[in-house]
Amino acid sequence: MSGGKIAFASGTLLALAGGWLAFPRVLYQTRLQPVDFSHKIHADKAGAKCEDCHAFRDDGTYAGIPTLDKCSGCHAAAMGTSAAEKNFMDQYVTPNREPQWLSYAQQPENVYFSHVSHVKLGRVKCERCHGNEEAGTSLRPYQRDPISGYSRDIWGRPVTRVGLRTEGGMKMDDCVDCHRRQGLEYSCLGCHK
Amino acid sequence: MTVPTRRTVRYGMSIDIDKCNGCGACMLACAVENNIPPVPEAANDRKGITWIRVYKVNNHRAYPARRTVFVPVLCQQCGHDAPCAHVCPQQAVDVDPATGIVGQMPERCLGCRYCMVACPYHARYFNWWDPKWPPGMEKTLNPDVAPRMRGVVEKCSFCHGRRHAAQQKAAAAGRREIDGDDYVPACVEACPTGALRFGDLNDASTEVAQDAQRPESFRLLEKLGTEPKIHYRSRRDWVREIANAPRPDGKEGPRG
Amino acid sequence: MTATRRNLLKFAGGGAAGALLTPAPWRLITDTALWSENWPGIPRPARGEIRERFTHCTLCPAGCAVRARCVSGQPVSLAGVKPHPLSNGGLCPWGIAGHHLPYHPARLRKGQAQEAMAAAARAIAEGASGEYAAVLDLRPGRTASWTHRRAMAALGNGLYLVPRQPAYSIDLAAARTVVSFGAPLFDGWGTPGNVFGARAHFRLIQIEPVETRTAALADMWLPIRPGTEAAIAAAIAGDLSVADAARLTGIEEEAIGAVWEAAQIGSTVVLAPEPGSPLMSLNERLGALGHTVVARREAPVPDAWKAAAPATEVVAAPDGAIRLLLIDESLPGGYVPWSVIEPKLAANATVIVFSSTAAGYARHAQYTLPAPVYPEAAEDIGPAIDTVAAVFRIAAPLGAPAVPVVNPAEFVAQIAGLPRGDALRERADSIHKTGRGRLLSYRDRMSTLTRELTAEDFWRTLNQGGCWLEEGGQKMAPPGLGAPPAGPAPHGDLPLAVVIVESNRGGLASPLMSKLERESSLRMAANRVVLSPADAQSGGIEDGGRCVLETACGGMDAWATIDPGVPAGVVEVAGGPRMADLCGSSFRARVVRA
Repeated sequence: MSGGKIAFASGTLLALAGGWLAFPRVLYQTRLQPVDFSHKIHADKAGAKCEDCHAFRDDGTYAGIPTLDKCSGCHAAAMGTSAAEKNFMDQYVTPNREPQWLSYAQQPENVYFSHVSHVKLGRVKCERCHGNEEAGTSLRPYQRDPISGYSRDIWGRPVTRVGLRTEGGMKMDDCVDCHRRQGLEYSCLGCHK
Repeated sequence: MTVPTRRTVRYGMSIDIDKCNGCGACMLACAVENNIPPVPEAANDRKGITWIRVYKVNNHRAYPARRTVFVPVLCQQCGHDAPCAHVCPQQAVDVDPATGIVGQMPERCLGCRYCMVACPYHARYFNWWDPKWPPGMEKTLNPDVAPRMRGVVEKCSFCHGRRHAAQQKAAAAGRREIDGDDYVPACVEACPTGALRFGDLNDASTEVAQDAQRPESFRLLEKLGTEPKIHYRSRRDWVREIANAPRPDGKEGPRG
Repeated sequence: MTATRRNLLKFAGGGAAGALLTPAPWRLITDTALWSENWPGIPRPARGEIRERFTHCTLCPAGCAVRARCVSGQPVSLAGVKPHPLSNGGLCPWGIAGHHLPYHPARLRKGQAQEAMAAAARAIAEGASGEYAAVLDLRPGRTASWTHRRAMAALGNGLYLVPRQPAYSIDLAAARTVVSFGAPLFDGWGTPGNVFGARAHFRLIQIEPVETRTAALADMWLPIRPGTEAAIAAAIAGDLSVADAARLTGIEEEAIGAVWEAAQIGSTVVLAPEPGSPLMSLNERLGALGHTVVARREAPVPDAWKAAAPATEVVAAPDGAIRLLLIDESLPGGYVPWSVIEPKLAANATVIVFSSTAAGYARHAQYTLPAPVYPEAAEDIGPAIDTVAAVFRIAAPLGAPAVPVVNPAEFVAQIAGLPRGDALRERADSIHKTGRGRLLSYRDRMSTLTRELTAEDFWRTLNQGGCWLEEGGQKMAPPGLGAPPAGPAPHGDLPLAVVIVESNRGGLASPLMSKLERESSLRMAANRVVLSPADAQSGGIEDGGRCVLETACGGMDAWATIDPGVPAGVVEVAGGPRMADLCGSSFRARVVRA
C-alpha cells in the first residue's frame, strides 16, 4: 500500500476511534448531587409514593423537585444514622438552605410540559419517562453536556440513540413519537411557550 | 390506544372601534403577560415591539371636520393560508388546525424577516436587541412565557400561556375541554371599555361569533384573501372604508 | 510512509472522512444550536407557587380594585376585579404595570432620615411666634392624611395644606346628559371602569377646542373658540341668547340649541377639568345639586381624631410664615406649582420631601426621603370624584419595600409626638363599631353587612381583598359651587391657547410605558407640541422640527408636529406637573423655532 493510502487510512481509523470511543466519554462533565439521597429508603421505610413529595398543586401546576420545607417536615431532627443524612442536616436543614438539586429532566425555557395532563388525563406512569427511580439506593451522577447545557438523560445514554429504552430519552423526538403512537394531535404551541 | 382529541375551535376576536378610547391598557397588559422588554432609548415606533398596537386614525379632514378613532391592531390570525406561514424558510410558523391560532416559534426562527415583509398588517416584530430589564424587574417576569433572544421575530399568539394554564386547570379537574372563562387573552381582560371580545368563532352562541355577523362588521384588508379572525365593527362609514385601504389616487392597483 | 505535506493532507482528509462517519460532528452541530439558544443574559422567569392576591391601586384617587397574580409571593401581572360596584373590573395602563415600580431604575433609593428628623426638630424648636410647621399632603382624604392632620393639631402651630380639592362627588349613574367643558371623561377622569360601565346610560356633550380622546367618543363635540366657555354656560343657563353665544364661541346655533334642550330634560351634570372651576356653578342653575352633584362622603373616623387640624388650601396660607414644610409626595395626586408654595416659606425654612422620584418637589428640598411605592405600602384610598358612596378600601402591600423607605405619616407623627399606632386598624375598628354599611369580599364575591361580622374578620377581609361601602341614604347637596364664570381673560401678547389633550401624571411609571409613547405614536410625549399649519408657518416651524414653547412662566424645548386637525390659535400639549408649572393660570403660549 502506498504511503498516501496509509496516511488516509490511519487518519480515518483515528477519527473513527476518537469519534466512537473517546468522544462519548469526554463529552460529559459529571457532577454529584448536593445530597446523597436514596429513593429506595424513602419508598420502602417511609412508604412514600412519587406524588407524596413530587406533588401537584390545586391549580394543576407541578411542584417538581421538593423544596426544603417538604424534607424538613419529617427530617426536623435526624431520623437515621447515615452519614448522608447527617451531612444533609448540617448543610441544609439547620442553616435553612435550599439544596441546589441538579434536575435530570431539565428542559429548555421555551418548552411547556404539563405533568397533570399526562399523569391525570393521559394516565402515564412516572416510570415511563423517568425510569424506575424508586429502586435507586442513591441518585445517579448528573452528567452534563457542557456545550448544550443539558443532562445526558435528555439525549439518552447511547450516543447514536440506537437501542434507546422508552424511558431513556427526553428530546422533542421522544415526545412526538409517543404523541403520534397515541394518535394525539400536536401543534407547536401545544408544547412550546 | 387512541386518545380522544379536543373539540376543534376557531379562536377569534371582535373589536368595537366605536368604544376604543385609545388608552393603551391592552398594549401594556400584552407586554406584561408576554415578557416583552422595554426597548432601548434609541428605539422609535419602527423598532419597538408591541404585539398589539393601537393606531390613531383620522378621516384626513381639517378642523373642525376632523374625526379620530383608535384601532387596535394585533396579529389577525389569518386562515390556513396565512402569508407568514407560506414564506417562512424555517417552518417556524405553525397554523394549528385545532384552534386556528397562527403560532410563531422564535426558537426555530433564523431572523430573515421574510414573514415581516409578507404580513400585510405589520403585526410581526423583530428583536433588534437582547431583552434587558432594569435590575430587579426580571423578578416580575411571567413564568408561562419564554423570553426571546435577539435576532428572532415574534408576534401575538392569543396569549397561549393562558391557554396552557387553562388546560392545566381543566386537567387537574379531570376535564379535557377548557372552561371558556379561564382562557381570556391579556388585552381582552385589560380593556376597560369592553371594546375587545374573545371567543370561539365556531360556537354561534358566543358574543364574538354574533359580532362577526353584524352588518357593520368588517375585517382589515379582506380583499387580500387572508381570512383573518379579528372582526372589527363601527357604525361610521369612513371607518369601515379604511379597512379596505383605498389608494389615495382612487385607482384599484398601480396600473389602474 | 514518509512524512510529507501530501501525506499530512491525506491524513487530515482521512480524519475528516472518518469523523463524518462518527456521531461527533452531528452531535456537535446539535449542541451548538442548543448553546446558541441559551444566550447569557436572557433572564429565566422564576418558578413557584402561583397565588392570587388582592389589593387596591394607589396610583390615582380612583383606587381601582386589583387582582394580582403572584409567583412565590412576587406579583407578575395585575388585572381588575369584576364584578365591582366602584371600579367594574377596569384598570388603566399605569395600573396594569404598577408592579414594576418597586424596581424602577429612577427610584429614589436613599435619603438622610436621621438628619432630616434632626433638622425638623430644630426647625420646630427654633420657630418664632407667628411661624408655622406645615404638611403639604398631595393626596388628601386618606387615613394617613388624618395622621398628618392630627400631628399638626398636636404641634400647636401646625398647618395642614392641600391642593385644591372638590367638595362634591359626581353621580354618573344618575346622569342622563353630561355636559363636559373639556373634562377628560374617557381619558383618566374619575374611575375608568365606572365611567365606561355607565357609558350606555348618558349622553355626552363635550365642549372643547380640539378633538381629544373624550371628544372623539362623545355623542356630540362642540369645537369652541378657546376661552369662551362662559358664553355657552350663560346660554345654557338662559342668561345669553343662543345667537349671541354662537357668535362669541364660533359654534353653530343648532348645536348650542341642542345642548340647551338636553339640559332641560333634567338629570344633567356639568363637568369642568379643574375642581374649583367657576363653570361648575352651572350645576346649581340646572338643579343638579343633590341629584347628580352630591356632597362628598367620607368613611367614619375614631372620635379622638376629630380634633385634627382642618385642611387649608395652599393659596390661603399666610405668606412667609412657614418655617418647616413637609411635602408628602408619596402618592401621585394633585399638583401645586412651586411658584405658589415658595412665597409661603419663611426666610430660613426647612423643606423635607417624601417621594419616590427626584424629579418632583425634591428639586426644591433640603432633604428628600425615599417613600414606599405602589404596591409596597399599606395605604388606603379616599373617594374619587365619581365615588358616591362612603368607602374604605385598604391597599394591602404585595411585598416588602425593595429599598429602605421612610413612611411619611410615621415620620410626621414622630415629630409631633403622636403615640405610635396602626392608624388603619384604628379606623377599621371605628367603622366596624358603627355597624353601618356592608363589606365586599373579592375572593368569594360575597357581600356581608358590617354588623354581622366580628372586628377581626372585618379587618382580615379588608386586607385580603375587600372594601367597605355605605350606599344609599339621602343625597346631600354639596356646599355652594362658587360664582358663575366671567368672560374670557385678556390674552396679552401670547397668540396661542394651550390645550392639554392628554394627562401624563407625575411620579414614576413603568418603563413599559415606552410602548405607548416611544414605540408607538399612541400617546403624546411630554416634550411634544402640535400646531395648525397656519401657526407653524407664522412661527417658521417644520413638521418634526425643534421649537420652544414660551409661556408667561417660562419655556420648554419641544418637538413640533403639524396637524390640520388642530385649529389656528391653539397649541396641543401633554399635561403633567411640568406643564402645570409652565402654564400657571393663564394657559397662553407662543411657539417659536428653536
